[in-house]
Amino acid sequence: MMQLDQWSGGLWPYVALVLFGFLPSEVWRMLSVFIGRKINEDSPLLEWVRAVSTALLAGVVANIILTPSGALATVPLFARLGAMAFGLGVYAIIGKSVIGAVLAGEAAIIFFAWWFSP
Amino acid sequence: MSEPQPQANKKDDTPRPISSWEWFGRGFRHAARLPMFVMALTFLGIGSLAYEANVSLGFALASTFLIWAGPAQVIFFGAVIQGLPLPAIALSVSLSSVRLLPMCVSLMPWLRRRDQGLGVALYTAHLIAVTGWVESIRRLPDMPEASRLPWFLGLVHGLVFAAAISTVAGYWLAAEVPREIAAGLLFVTPIYFTAALLRNVREPVDGMALAFGFALSPLLKPFVTAGFDLLAVGLIGGTAAFLGQRWLNARRAGGAS
Repeated sequence: MMQLDQWSGGLWPYVALVLFGFLPSEVWRMLSVFIGRKINEDSPLLEWVRAVSTALLAGVVANIILTPSGALATVPLFARLGAMAFGLGVYAIIGKSVIGAVLAGEAAIIFFAWWFSP
Repeated sequence: MSEPQPQANKKDDTPRPISSWEWFGRGFRHAARLPMFVMALTFLGIGSLAYEANVSLGFALASTFLIWAGPAQVIFFGAVIQGLPLPAIALSVSLSSVRLLPMCVSLMPWLRRRDQGLGVALYTAHLIAVTGWVESIRRLPDMPEASRLPWFLGLVHGLVFAAAISTVAGYWLAAEVPREIAAGLLFVTPIYFTAALLRNVREPVDGMALAFGFALSPLLKPFVTAGFDLLAVGLIGGTAAFLGQRWLNARRAGGAS
């Protein structure tokens, strides 16, 4: 089977990147250019598409928190959720500050990762 | 990056208070407030993943410029590490990037101009990824029409700039990051996106989509084939939120009449 590391010479890795990384991803953006030209700014369709995007992104977040990989998986679930809650709590308290949420959540998760050292 | 010089616009006789380059600069500066740091932290992880995948630094950097979608890059390098065949990698990458379709479709009408060429449209669409979307989807509609595209381009070029530097840094630092910091890097994405989505909530539909998406993800996972689960979460959660908003609108209209 074709594998990236078997072809490590010359330009091939970049050709593979374009064919198997760039194009499969980019095709959706290209498609959006042609669909997007036909959609009006205040169309209800756009509101629906935005809601789908938001739910999708929330799903991505839930995936990372509930079934993490790598170093984040060494932190227990309740601590991951706790760090999330702490970050969002700070967000609410200090006036909808995204920076505050990120800093507080990061401080909490790094503390938990240290506390629950395997 | 140096501040670009304002360019004289020959077609425009009336003096514009704020030039396109100034809007570009404002977008860039907006990115520099927080989103660039979030990108930098995220792409440290991607750079180190690329290092583990045994590709060259140039390849890692090219993947950031070309793919320009964090999750797709994580999947790409994760699959390379596992030694998956290239067609399977392409399919996983493509499935993860389906989410770019609704994001680009919802954003492109605000970035469209009457005499816009196809090349500009494709380049603009290429630069749309999750962070650029979440930062601009609720801001662009409130901005003057002429300022939207240059502001957005300033924003996303700031993001590309940060991500590129960070891909290189992550590649170099790969072996030396302690576990606590590595956990912190992986946590940047969920905490930032959740807070940014909360900030974007203007109407019930936004809050409902956020809540449904989060709740549906673990519920649907056992029932939907991997790769399609996020798509199902988006479609079902988003449609439910959209219908919920319609229902609220109808009830509000009914109450008023």
